[in-house]
Amino acid sequence: MERNTPVLSARDLRKAFPSDGERHLLRKGMHPAVDGVSFDIYPGQTFGLVGESGCGKSTVAKLLMGLEKLDSGEVYLEGQRIDQLAPKKLRPLRPQFQMVFQDSGSSLNPRKRVMDILSEPMLYHGVAKSDTVQARMDELLEQVGLPREMKHRYPHEFSGGQRQRICIARALSLRPKVIVLDEPVSALDVSVQAQILNLLRDLQEQMHLTYLFIGHGLGAVRYISHRIGVMYMGRLVESGDAEELFAHPAHPYTRALLDAVPVADYALRNRPRITLVGEVGELPASGNGCPFAPRCPMATASCLEHVPELKPLAGAPERTVACLRAGEQR
Amino acid sequence: MERMDAAEPLLDVRHLDIAFASGKKLTKRTEDVHFQVHPGEILSIVGESGCGKSITALSLLRLLNRQGRVVGGEVLFKGRDLLSMTEKELDRVRGREIAMVFQDIMYSLNPVFTIGNQMVETLRRHMGMQRGQARERAVELLEKTGISQPRSVMKKYPHMLSGGMRQRVMIAMALTCNPSLLIADEPTTALDVTIQLQIMQLLKKLRDETGMAILLITHDIGLVTEMADRVVVMYAGQCVEEASTQQLLESPAHPYTRALLRAVPGIHDPKDRRLYSIPGAVPEEYQDLPGCRFAPRCPYGQDCPGAREESQVNPGHMVRCCRAQEGREAYGA
Repeated sequence: MERNTPVLSARDLRKAFPSDGERHLLRKGMHPAVDGVSFDIYPGQTFGLVGESGCGKSTVAKLLMGLEKLDSGEVYLEGQRIDQLAPKKLRPLRPQFQMVFQDSGSSLNPRKRVMDILSEPMLYHGVAKSDTVQARMDELLEQVGLPREMKHRYPHEFSGGQRQRICIARALSLRPKVIVLDEPVSALDVSVQAQILNLLRDLQEQMHLTYLFIGHGLGAVRYISHRIGVMYMGRLVESGDAEELFAHPAHPYTRALLDAVPVADYALRNRPRITLVGEVGELPASGNGCPFAPRCPMATASCLEHVPELKPLAGAPERTVACLRAGEQR
Repeated sequence: MERMDAAEPLLDVRHLDIAFASGKKLTKRTEDVHFQVHPGEILSIVGESGCGKSITALSLLRLLNRQGRVVGGEVLFKGRDLLSMTEKELDRVRGREIAMVFQDIMYSLNPVFTIGNQMVETLRRHMGMQRGQARERAVELLEKTGISQPRSVMKKYPHMLSGGMRQRVMIAMALTCNPSLLIADEPTTALDVTIQLQIMQLLKKLRDETGMAILLITHDIGLVTEMADRVVVMYAGQCVEEASTQQLLESPAHPYTRALLRAVPGIHDPKDRRLYSIPGAVPEEYQDLPGCRFAPRCPYGQDCPGAREESQVNPGHMVRCCRAQEGREAYGA
């Protein structure tokens, strides 16, 4: 798979926002939301991005889509650099990368019928003409599992799961290569979540789609992803093959994250697990060093000296880990 | 924790029917909900949104909004019916004997008062303490919930705290009067998993130390597995299954429970596993549905004669399904 050109590449993405918090107005600092994130996504595959709230995963999605301006870094779509393109130049490329958001309620215009929501982008980008757009719409609705009569309805007439199907249909309408899915199932009930996850998997298979799937539900991310990156405080701390990564996490944060997920298996009820102390956002007192060090059960003095780089794990070149003590026994 | 069946239940909810008014019409949202919570037990009510679990929790302390009302049933707490008490009598139960923590931590604390202010006021009102004494007790309570610098937290306003900290404060306030029952309605849904784990371990520790019972309302079957002693599964306003956590996980009897268990993506599932997805959606209006409410989505029951009554599959294991036994084989569970 590594032989292919990646469909979407992120190179050293950086973005800082002005921090609020308790500081004095004049001493307002910048808070790095995304701090040097790089990854490649290969055709027909899903790259999953996991992490807790505030880790910067949604900002990564927005940076890739051009919805936030990069401070520095590069974004490539099939080898072509897109982050510096003028809006006019970017527009013809837009159909190739589409996005689905978590809140389907607010990402569909409440005053438009489904037929308008779906047909408008297609007509605008010239993907369908006015005589073919109806047929294409029926096809899309069928693909996402909605009856075609429903195109006459308004968004509020649908359930959350159905609305997410409409968002997926809208993303599909332009025949994209990549779809960025930002927490698409987080707001849904389990039974509906399973429907949407299966739908996304099937669509990927049928159309050879490439996904960036962002989520905090680790089970869901694992289910849909081929490769996964784990983020902590704006950085990737570990990435690798989905199954490998979850079976043998090398970074202590990944381990703790996996340990914290409640498992519906009675036999595992009293398993030994790492409980992290403290919360995200507490930086090492020294001001530099590994951002995870203050909460890390394995941290040593050297962890506080400098930020560990993301390096291939010894014996597993597909895996990268940013930890001085990566792979050591817990 | 094993419970003794002989023991008096702390909370005994019987045939609870809750209806909501929309215009002039009353629509039933729960029907014949019943369960018991024993002293020191963690009972979990699990179900998807709209199943009636949260309104059930609210109705226990008569906290439903104006549209909602209990139209039938009893809520016996230590043998007294909370639903027929006067407001004054109920006030002595609320907060003192039964405390509650909610999912919306942001709305449960008053944004214009400091944490210390709110805690001291609660202690003075409920426990009749003096200001100084209340202050000391508040520090103690915050420490108990794992807050390392209670004095500095007390000076802060709710918005200055993280979600996890706010939930700890809420739990500390709930503990004010040593309640014998804590109702926790999705207490960790808004929190990250690592913080959720901290809070859940805290709740378990408090249960072990104080012997207070916990009624845990959640949608997360994983959380139920790790926390609960016993589980009630709700679907469309009814209890469809009740069992010990082990029974429920190892031999679920209701097709909905089984489907729910198989719809959850696990973190160690084999790669080629396909999630079971329940077709359709939870009905929005279900009071007039004849027969079994799950039948339209049930893998082997569209023509179900309908079981409105519950039956016992094993001691302590109740299920509302007419084909619980035969279905078990058909489903391969």
